[in-house]
Amino acid sequence: MIVADPKPFLQVKGYLEDFQKILVVGCGTCTTVCLSGGEAEVQILASGLRIAFGKDGRKKTILEECIQRQCDLEFVEPVLSRVESENIDAVVSLACGVGVNFLADRLGKTPIFPGLDTTFYGANVEQGLWAEMCAGCGSCIIAHTGGICPVARCSKHLLNGPCGGSEKGRCEVDPANIECVWQLIYDRLKRLGRLEDLRHLLPAKDWSTASDGGVRRSTREQLYDI
Amino acid sequence: MPMDKSSPGFLNTIAGDALPTCSAACPVHTDTREYVQRVSMGDYEGALDILLEVNPFPSVCGRICHHPCESHCRRAAIDEAVSLRMIKRFIVENTRQYRIARRKKAVQVSKDKSAAVIGGGPSGLTAAMDLALRGYKVKVYEKDSKLGGMLAHAIPRYRLPPEALAEDIEDILATGIEVHSGCTVGQDISFEQLKKDNDAVLIAVGLAESHSLPIPGTSGKGVFLGVTFLWDVANGLCPELGKRTLVIGGGNVAIDIARAAKRLGPEKVYMACLESRDEMPAWKWEIDEAEEEGIEILNSWGPKEILEKDGAVTGVRFRRCSSVFDAQHRFSPTYDDSETNTVAVDSVILGIGQKANLDFLAGSAVSVNGGRLICDRESMGTSEPGIFACGEVMTGPGSAIQAVSTGHDAAKVVSHYLETGKLLKLPNKKVLDIGELPAVTAANARHFDRVCVELSDPAERIKDFSPIEPVYTEEEALSESRRCLSCATGAHLQFPNHCAGCLTCVRICPFGVAQVRRTAFMPPQQCQTCGLCAAECPAFAIDTLRFPTSAMKTAVEDSVSALDPGRIARPFLISYCCVNGTTSRKYLGEQSAEEIMESGILRVLVPCVGRLSMADLISPFELGADKVAVVSCPEDGCYYPRVESWLDRRIKRTQKYLDQIGVGGENLQLFNMEGSGDESWPRIWEKFRAVNLETAVGNL
Amino acid sequence: MSDKSVVKSGSNLERVLSSGHFAVTCECGPPKGADVELLEKKVALIKGCVDAANVTDNQTAVVRMSSIAASSILVKNGMEPVMQMVTRDRNRIAAQSDVFGASALGIRNMLCLTGDHQSFGNHPKSKNVFDLDSLQLLDVVRTIRDRGVVNSGDPVQGGIKMFLGAAANPFADPFEFRVIRLAKKIDAGADFIQTQCIYDMKRFRDFMKMACDMGLDKSCYILAGLTPLKSAGMAAYMNKNVSGITIPEEIIKRIKGAAKNEQAEEGIRLLLDQIQEVREIPGISGVHIMAIEWEDRVREITERAGLLPRPLL
Ligand SMILES: Cc1cc2nc3c(=O)[nH]c(=O)nc-3n(C[C@H](O)[C@H](O)[C@H](O)COP(=O)(O)OP(=O)(O)OC[C@H]3O[C@@H](n4cnc5c(N)ncnc54)[C@H](O)[C@@H]3O)c2cc1C
Ligand code: SF4
Ligand code: SF4
Ligand code: SF4
Ligand code: SF4
Repeated sequence: MIVADPKPFLQVKGYLEDFQKILVVGCGTCTTVCLSGGEAEVQILASGLRIAFGKDGRKKTILEECIQRQCDLEFVEPVLSRVESENIDAVVSLACGVGVNFLADRLGKTPIFPGLDTTFYGANVEQGLWAEMCAGCGSCIIAHTGGICPVARCSKHLLNGPCGGSEKGRCEVDPANIECVWQLIYDRLKRLGRLEDLRHLLPAKDWSTASDGGVRRSTREQLYDI
Repeated sequence: MPMDKSSPGFLNTIAGDALPTCSAACPVHTDTREYVQRVSMGDYEGALDILLEVNPFPSVCGRICHHPCESHCRRAAIDEAVSLRMIKRFIVENTRQYRIARRKKAVQVSKDKSAAVIGGGPSGLTAAMDLALRGYKVKVYEKDSKLGGMLAHAIPRYRLPPEALAEDIEDILATGIEVHSGCTVGQDISFEQLKKDNDAVLIAVGLAESHSLPIPGTSGKGVFLGVTFLWDVANGLCPELGKRTLVIGGGNVAIDIARAAKRLGPEKVYMACLESRDEMPAWKWEIDEAEEEGIEILNSWGPKEILEKDGAVTGVRFRRCSSVFDAQHRFSPTYDDSETNTVAVDSVILGIGQKANLDFLAGSAVSVNGGRLICDRESMGTSEPGIFACGEVMTGPGSAIQAVSTGHDAAKVVSHYLETGKLLKLPNKKVLDIGELPAVTAANARHFDRVCVELSDPAERIKDFSPIEPVYTEEEALSESRRCLSCATGAHLQFPNHCAGCLTCVRICPFGVAQVRRTAFMPPQQCQTCGLCAAECPAFAIDTLRFPTSAMKTAVEDSVSALDPGRIARPFLISYCCVNGTTSRKYLGEQSAEEIMESGILRVLVPCVGRLSMADLISPFELGADKVAVVSCPEDGCYYPRVESWLDRRIKRTQKYLDQIGVGGENLQLFNMEGSGDESWPRIWEKFRAVNLETAVGNL
Repeated sequence: MSDKSVVKSGSNLERVLSSGHFAVTCECGPPKGADVELLEKKVALIKGCVDAANVTDNQTAVVRMSSIAASSILVKNGMEPVMQMVTRDRNRIAAQSDVFGASALGIRNMLCLTGDHQSFGNHPKSKNVFDLDSLQLLDVVRTIRDRGVVNSGDPVQGGIKMFLGAAANPFADPFEFRVIRLAKKIDAGADFIQTQCIYDMKRFRDFMKMACDMGLDKSCYILAGLTPLKSAGMAAYMNKNVSGITIPEEIIKRIKGAAKNEQAEEGIRLLLDQIQEVREIPGISGVHIMAIEWEDRVREITERAGLLPRPLL
């Protein structure tokens, strides 16, 4: 799923200086699961904003809401109408960047600000720890690498084996925190008896399917005229 | 913060109809969990309300109930059962004024039908009270001068002092029932007369007479019948016992007889019974206490003859009892005549069982078979319409609370009969319970020693009939009440739609309770109500039934809104305190707005501060608090495992956030109390408030 | 796979190697600015001592004069460069374009590298490219050279002459994969290999044994990388901080054993021993001396190692 981290509070507050009536909207899907944008964080941010603006002697109205997903129209519609009917001056979204964009595209004249820094597609590898697992490159190569993605998990996105900085299974970029994915790939293929897979040169990758190919869309022909 | 006094049973919802095992085991299904929780929050009066809801004899039960609730307490899977009877006794002994004040005025007779109750024991009185509360005219006929049945004239005072019984009886009498004491039905008034004067008659005469033994020598001087003996003792007529006394019987009654006898001064008191030690029907604790008092128990002996010389008892001859029960576990003793034993004694008391005296029914249409009243257990009716029975005369020997339970039932069937002229079949009373505490959950729970009181020194206590058991001090009662797991009142998915299935609850639960299958669920039988999951749930989808923090939030808001901000002593401190730290009601009661403003302290008592979410920690600042203290148990003293470290992390994150929002993280502090809350909280509050608002908090 | 019998660029280095001489290369780092004089001074120090000098490409991700420009200055000053190129900073378009430019400027040797991660350098907040990895870069350049087409398949206007090199680090993990990776590089087009600096001779011998067993030395020239230790402090620092380098305890002890003012000399003596050692290892065709900021000692070193004079072919 998508992982996002709370933005520094003052940065968010800074966005909102000029607005009076502010709606903080959480997302009940990915950012709830990664503990940065659910109902709880909405309350925490809203409470923080009320206190902080109060300390500046500026009383603002901070409203709260958390919807199931910010990346689907039916779910965001109530927010759109609320913004309209309650004359809300600005929206802070605690969804990933997708949600912010999706709302921004539909919010007419009301400004929207991100409350989170969207970081990566990752997995919850341990309680309280998420790690990047996929880069969404659009042409998956991990059939050749034991199902482990060097595009996302190698600091240099190397496709043909580890660089010279791989030491004791750690990546030179931050040995304490990053595993060398090539060590993982090597170990796994060795276990699988498929080291042969690494003998062949993976030629220059086709990045056109990644964001490098321009903004991407994905369609389902059974539902959409291509 | 105001306490929740909502009606009993309000907590039952998450486990459906299933009761905690304690309540299920109680014949009147006392809402045990609720009264214990009220005690733990210092609401002793509310706890009494719960007791009286179903049991007119809480004072008696606080002393002598054989407490099936305790025997079924789920805490036993962790360490030992909660000492429920002692808590109950604490409640009644600390709410006397309240009990008098809440006593209702006599109920006006509103129905034109009347009922007579024969027998003023617990069953008869309970039924009479219930019928009076339903508006019937009720008359109780009691042959003794005192009400209470066996409670008044059998159970020795060192266990049940008359004052305790009197408290309960006063309550019952206040409902306005008419009592004819010293009036033996069959002698002073005929059964036929009662039938003529009333629309229904309830027989609640108990088992008032002792069985004798079919062996030679039972009529000699120095041979006593148990019930008679106890009646005499209870009424201050000291029966004359010789130097060596032997009690025949192995049940609780026999123990009472032996212990009462011991207090009358004989040098030696024996008990002899057919049963081996393990088979004895008496409660183990009763046996132990008897032995402490020097009573010698002779097991597996059957009396063959009471020996006499010159019309006076000289001893008892026994033969070996080789087995008491047959394969179907029916009473069917067999003996080995080759092994005999003679015990030289000069008094013998028979405590082998009781029977009813139903002489007053002679000539009536009410059937009696072999000295036993014929009575249908479902409708409680006898063979004659309009004549009902309850209590031990119907059930056989039992307990006081069971007698009370049948009294309640009798009132139901009798009033139904009075209204409709028909019998009411009581539904099968099988109640659903939530089952035992699963072993995995128990294994994760922390151990806390049961609070035990010390009985008077055996050497001293046998000198007279003074009560031998002290009541809990307030500190002890509070501490014991907190051992209750408050079964099945824990976490539940309050907002299922909000649950994102994130697994935080699953991972944080120290008891392995929470599970996620698409959405989360916490089996109520397992949850220990630590509240960690609710505090960390990113969707705030979980709440706990017992002490929901959502309700706390509103209560704090209400308290603060009643204050005049200008008059609050600054710095204004809101202090979350773990309720488990209190040793008295000092800090458990409600605070007046005046008191809060003057002291600058608003305390919020929480059963374990580990359940406070980050939002809970911030919101007081929004309400105008200058500082927030979170006071937890002494280090490593938390009721729950692992809560301390989670709370610590949560506080640290909140402090950082408070720094960012300009409040200053140092204005939120986590404290461990030292010793009790009563003594350490004021110190903590004072020191914390004294630290300059703008400067970092040093070493507190 | 590279074929040693086919001339790739006719560079001096290629000629030295193909004629069977023991080759010597060293490093010549460009300045952190446009100071040509500084670069020319360095060139003067090493001229005549080595067959070619590696011109690093924003080494350790610190911004310096571009390696193409610096290499071109070397060419002008009569010193043959080995132009290094990393994939960190350029995608395949820039890389190919730079290769054309380099060839046009007379640069005939090139070392294809992935490059140090930008987080180590002076612009840790920059974005990296890594469109290609070092192997793919080799493959792309080799394809231009040998088949006359760019990566997309379009023909080139005017071919390039380039002797292609790659790096190998026998000391990084996973060890068993290191030879496989070397083989892959050779498959991808490497004509010569310069190794990471060697201190652990035992592990290097094992590595070379595996490489020779696979016949890799037959299709590629392997130059052993060596870095003189200036002091015990430097040894300890490198051991601890440079990933992929471990310095055995006895070497650190040997340098430490010398008096403070003798440590540099001891470092050079160690290097001379190492040069003799690697000369004897089967499959080694030369040494690559990385005398970091010590260009002024290169002459002395090569002299004392008996590597002078360099052949003029
Ligand atoms: C020695 C002893 C110890 C006990 N200890 C405990 C204990 O520790 N815990 C516990 O829970 N239970 C105990 N019990 C049991 C408990 O006392 C009985 O279960 C309970 O009292 C039964 O109540 P009841 O109303 O059915 O009968 P009773 O209590 O026997 O009351 C019947 C009443 O009817 C009256 N009566 C009888 N005949 C007539 C008549 N013809 N006219 C008018 N009145 C009449 C009697 O005088 C008596 O007052 C003990 C019992 C005994 C004997
Ligand atoms: S190759 Fe691309 S799409 Fe596939 S797992 Fe890796 S990053 Fe994701
Ligand atoms: S722990 Fe409390 S609620 Fe649970 S069975 Fe025991 S007394 Fe009842
Ligand atoms: S922590 Fe909350 S959102 Fe997450 S699974 Fe549990 S109930 Fe659902
Ligand atoms: S975390 Fe605590 S409150 Fe939640 S399910 Fe587990 S025991 Fe119950």
